[in-house]
Amino acid sequence: MPLIECRQLSKTYRKGAGTIKPLDGLDLDIDAGRFLALMGPSGSGKTTLLNLIAGIDRPSEGALTIGGQNIAKLSRSRLAAWRADHVGYVFQLYNLVPVLTAYENVELPLLLHKLTRRERHERVATALSLVGLADRHDHYPRQLSGGQEQRVAIARAIVTDPQIIVADEPTGDLDKPSAHAVMELLCRLNSELNKTLIMVTHDAATAEYADQTLHLDKGRLVEHSVQAAFSGETATTRPEEGAAR
Amino acid sequence: MRNLPFEYAARNLGRSPLRLMISVVGSVLVVVLATSAFAFVRAMDRSLTGSASEDNVILLGAGSEESIERSEISASVASQAQASVFGIRSEAGKAFVSPEVHAALGVALGPDAEPAGQAVFRGMTPAAFAVHPQVRLTKGRAPNTGADEVIVGALAPTRLGVDDERLSVGESIWVDGRALTIVGRFAAPNTVMDAEVWVPLTSIQTLTRREGVSCVVLTLDEGEFADVDLFVKSRVDLELAAIPEADYYDQLNAFYRPVKMMVWITAVLIGIGGLLGGLNTMYAAFASRVREVGTLQSLGFPRRAVVLSFVQESLLASAAGAVIGALICLLLLDGVSVRFSMGAFGLLLDGPTVGFGIAAGVALGLIGAVPPTLRCLRLPVAEALKAT
Repeated sequence: MPLIECRQLSKTYRKGAGTIKPLDGLDLDIDAGRFLALMGPSGSGKTTLLNLIAGIDRPSEGALTIGGQNIAKLSRSRLAAWRADHVGYVFQLYNLVPVLTAYENVELPLLLHKLTRRERHERVATALSLVGLADRHDHYPRQLSGGQEQRVAIARAIVTDPQIIVADEPTGDLDKPSAHAVMELLCRLNSELNKTLIMVTHDAATAEYADQTLHLDKGRLVEHSVQAAFSGETATTRPEEGAAR
Repeated sequence: MRNLPFEYAARNLGRSPLRLMISVVGSVLVVVLATSAFAFVRAMDRSLTGSASEDNVILLGAGSEESIERSEISASVASQAQASVFGIRSEAGKAFVSPEVHAALGVALGPDAEPAGQAVFRGMTPAAFAVHPQVRLTKGRAPNTGADEVIVGALAPTRLGVDDERLSVGESIWVDGRALTIVGRFAAPNTVMDAEVWVPLTSIQTLTRREGVSCVVLTLDEGEFADVDLFVKSRVDLELAAIPEADYYDQLNAFYRPVKMMVWITAVLIGIGGLLGGLNTMYAAFASRVREVGTLQSLGFPRRAVVLSFVQESLLASAAGAVIGALICLLLLDGVSVRFSMGAFGLLLDGPTVGFGIAAGVALGLIGAVPPTLRCLRLPVAEALKAT
């Protein structure tokens, strides 16, 4: 059974007098432990799909079942609680809280869980060690480089041990070495911790770190590529030829 | 725990020192205004209501119930009332019946000087001390009957706009070119009498060229107001009216209600200005954090947690301003005397007054934070994350 099931998933926004439909009747299954890249031109619906899976937006139509639960039907507050339990989000611009230290930023999601201060401390220390920034725990975001900020953001995304990590252009604001380090880290999370990773990217080279790439256009799935474990060989299918699994 | 850490609210204050300063100054302004207005109104109320004694009844001229100064009755009313009204208090054979002349007179500080200001003079006999127990001599002695002597209330210098020392015992004042020697000082805290000048009844009758008195004040013991009223109604020839002293000062209090309303309206209007300034500051402060708010929500923090944190932040700024405002008030306003037509009263910054001012400042922080926070949370999370 797939971890994520999208059935006839649509999203419609009002814009002025008219409406726009960034996602239009999408069917998609994603198995647990996958590393999926979403690509497509601007407005193709990839970030909308990412936000729906992350539970920060709700579909206008269709069903979105994650871990057996249709999150499309959750109330706003229950959806917020669900996000805290199941999803870690990595943003393009890191989105760290500037007035909190690296440690406090990583600790933030843990405040939503019933943990003692000691338990929180252990988890934050583990997460910061995992991203190689244990020695920067008391630094504020302005005292870190872009790559370090993104690694703190990744630590924040994984500290609650979520099933799913979503990343929206995680290397979009980084130089090449930092981008490589971040992608290596995301790959490790996928391969060593078996996290399901869904990443939006414009960059084909970044997408190659994923084991699957979905191409979206005008809210529909137009192409599905499967990478052979960094070998560079890619098998491409059209959505009507098979499920995106 | 589903709330953001308090440190988040506290440290956010340091993001923009200018905005913090504007918020704090706005709060200081509101607290100073609210405290001043509250202290003014309370002191005026207290001064008027504190002037009355529950058992006192005033006999004054029919038709002059609203102003003792305009009243003129026969000097014989005192003895007639003493003889006719049942149940007047007495001590050591002296009845608590005080014939008085009330007159606002210009006071000069030299024989040929222009009047420095007007003070309310009360022509009195020794019985005045009995019917007005709020009055106590603090220096010197009471004036001798028939002598050109006065005793001066603690706030009379404020009323006249002169230094306290200028009205010390031994100094003189002049009324219509006639010298009056100050032989004593008295205090009657929280009453209009505190700003008066007391002079022997016969002396003021000479000064004002009148034979009658303004009123007679009686203190009842076993008697009731109905006994006094019966006397008034049975002696139509005297053209008297009787009014409980408490009612008289309630009327005066009502007379000054528009003044108090104006004080409140001014304070509220300026307070609204402070609130709008605070709102503007908070709108700017929170609007620059829309993406951050989206991030916090994406992590799973409920909207309530964000509202609470922003309110905490605003309250911290306003509470700091409130404390500063309260300290400014305590340093600058406590004990300050304010002149008004009935005399003067002293502002007293007691617990309720300072508490009211601080509450106004804190309320400013609360009211000032909620609309900008709600506006900040209006965007869906996905859109908030796109904010620049």
